[in-house]
Amino acid sequence: MNELFEPEIVAFVCTYCTYAGADLAGTSRLKYAPNVRIVRLPCTGRISPMFILKALQKGADGILISGCHPGDCHFTHGNYHARRRWMVFRALLEFTGIPSERVKYSWISAAEGGKFADLMNSITEDIRKLGPFDQYKALIKETEAPATF
Amino acid sequence: MVIGYKPGTTADRRRPHFIRTPEEADQLVLDSACITNLSGYLVSEGLLSDEKAVAIFLKPDGIRSINILAAEAQLNIDQILILGFDINDNQVTALEGEKVEEFATLIESIKEQAPDALKNPLLEKIEGMTPKERFTFWQKEFSRCIKCYACRQACPMCYCRRCIVDCNQPQWVNTSSHTLGNFEWNIVRAFHLSGRCVGCGNCDRACPVNIPLRLINAKMAQEVLGSFDHFAGMSHTQEPVLASFKKDDSETFIL
Ligand code: SF4
Ligand code: SF4
Repeated sequence: MNELFEPEIVAFVCTYCTYAGADLAGTSRLKYAPNVRIVRLPCTGRISPMFILKALQKGADGILISGCHPGDCHFTHGNYHARRRWMVFRALLEFTGIPSERVKYSWISAAEGGKFADLMNSITEDIRKLGPFDQYKALIKETEAPATF
Repeated sequence: MVIGYKPGTTADRRRPHFIRTPEEADQLVLDSACITNLSGYLVSEGLLSDEKAVAIFLKPDGIRSINILAAEAQLNIDQILILGFDINDNQVTALEGEKVEEFATLIESIKEQAPDALKNPLLEKIEGMTPKERFTFWQKEFSRCIKCYACRQACPMCYCRRCIVDCNQPQWVNTSSHTLGNFEWNIVRAFHLSGRCVGCGNCDRACPVNIPLRLINAKMAQEVLGSFDHFAGMSHTQEPVLASFKKDDSETFIL
């Protein structure tokens, strides 16, 4: 690869913690990789595993899911429910060959602007090293082929 | 009503049979070919709505299904009489008890054997592969799927009136049966059955292209057993594993 590969990364975040953390990174003028597209949701409990599949379907190379630290959820236990779901879904993705390096999870509070910026940078670097998710992209390409009879 | 088995189209097949009068009882058969988990019929529309008792022939996996359906508020256990049986070495034996609670010790012992029972050479082989190889393995399997949804129809745990694959606003899962859509469908199916599958094999047997569906479910059963000590269908009051949590659930992977 001559040109530097620019991965596309989607971050699903809860509005009360990680989104506020991302905001803090912005207002503190911390620079971080521009590869990340943020999707804001009310709570990690609202982040359905379907979102992960949808992001992959649309060609994402990496995904981050992030919310409030345990005990800090605005709705008291949305993140505890989410954590169980992630645990199971993560094992399922792993088993079907979607590498866990491409789907990451984190707790980032409203005060952790620095952690947010650092994580975006490190995830972007990690995915850059992995390269595009070729196996999945080949499947996407197949869907674009004209029908044959 | 009694739900049982009668002879099927070939010598080794049985089909479900629903009888309403004592005279019909001799149409029923019970032998080692009666392997289908019949519990799903209980939640078919209107079957339980007259609140009359229903007796149903069930193996231990089916009895666990009853517990799950009750725990998920799909049926009232007081309405169900269980005609329990098991098959070992082609021999049918009757199980003691008629109410689902009476099978608690039996299910307890099945849970104890589960770590060994869920072991499978192919499963271990897949676990030993690299992610790329695993992806290729499942890509090959799922590419054959024709999205007939027979696996869903056959599964007692797939009772949703409106399945996520039938929703098109938004359309989460590609409906056409190219490999991408098949991949998504099979992942969603496995996820929705995590911690709920009893391993009855109805899905496997229904699949016209022989995708090893139960293998993914077995993997997920191992996962919930190992991570949350959850074994599906222990009792009719068991909390569904993905609708409950513990504050100290493990989280080694969260950054
Ligand atoms: S997923 Fe398959 S094995 Fe599991 S309960 Fe449903 S039909 Fe039975
Ligand atoms: S039964 Fe088999 S072919 Fe039909 S939808 Fe399920 S996995 Fe696909």
